[in-house]
Amino acid sequence: MIDSILLVDDEDLFHLVFEDACSLLDITLSLQSVSSADEAEKMFKEWYESNKADERPECVFVDLNIIGSSFDGIELVRRINFEYGNHVIIGIISSSDEPEEQAKAVKAGAQFWIVKSDEIEPRLEEFRKDFDKYKNGKTSFKVYK
Amino acid sequence: MLSFDKKTIEQLLKLYETRKIGLEGNITKLIQTDNEDFKKYLDTCIENDNENRRKRLTITKQVQSQNTELTKAKEENERINEELKIALSQTLEAKEIAEKDLDLLQKKTQFELIGLIIKISLSIIIGVGLITTGIYLYIITIGGDTKIIESSWSNMFGILLTNSFSIIGTIMGVKYASDKIDKK
Repeated sequence: MIDSILLVDDEDLFHLVFEDACSLLDITLSLQSVSSADEAEKMFKEWYESNKADERPECVFVDLNIIGSSFDGIELVRRINFEYGNHVIIGIISSSDEPEEQAKAVKAGAQFWIVKSDEIEPRLEEFRKDFDKYKNGKTSFKVYK
Repeated sequence: MLSFDKKTIEQLLKLYETRKIGLEGNITKLIQTDNEDFKKYLDTCIENDNENRRKRLTITKQVQSQNTELTKAKEENERINEELKIALSQTLEAKEIAEKDLDLLQKKTQFELIGLIIKISLSIIIGVGLITTGIYLYIITIGGDTKIIESSWSNMFGILLTNSFSIIGTIMGVKYASDKIDKK
């Protein structure tokens, strides 16, 4: 089971879907959801500046296009990885399956890409199985679709 | 992990037995106990919670799907509205052009008619002038009485000059207006 997850997604309905799917699949018991990239960045900045790396979530799922934010999901991944000290397993969760966007995400340091659809549970289940490999750095960028 | 004392467990069990109110959420997965009844209670709570989550997940997905369809329909409506606005604007422009053309055509026809009337009038005046002059010259040549024809010719010539300038002025005006319409 993943210790804690942070979901960054502008769609409130997806927060509910993700929370229920995570609970039913026993993916995590600790899930925090935020609706904007700015909010997530602020959290990581605080953790970074106050040296509270242990308060960070173990894994972060970031939506690609976060409406109402001043930058997109890939930029958030880049900032977390290169400006706020990393320390998390981070990837994109999006309805898009564009290889160009995925290449950008890899450059920004994303470790996975989950394609959103009505059937999100099997993808999350697969991700859960791979999670230890991500933790140990034994797997490269993977797309779940 | 969490553990509860005997009294709390009894209270929780009684609450569930009497009012069917049980623990909910992920906290139920964090409680440890050796009490068999409480274990069963926790299993029931977890099962109820999972059932509720399954129902909510299904409904949320349906709402999400309907929202997506509504968003697409809204986008399609906006696209059609935009197309209609463009079509309406084009139709209004075409209508304005057609009205202008019709107006010009009517004016042109009117000018042509006026020009024709003036030309005919001028021809009649010149014709009458020529005939009167001809008769006057003829009478002079044959040595007849020229008194009546003289005054007639003089009157005619006066009228001819006055009207001719007026008619020529009108013709120039009509010509100028016609040229302007042609240029347009």
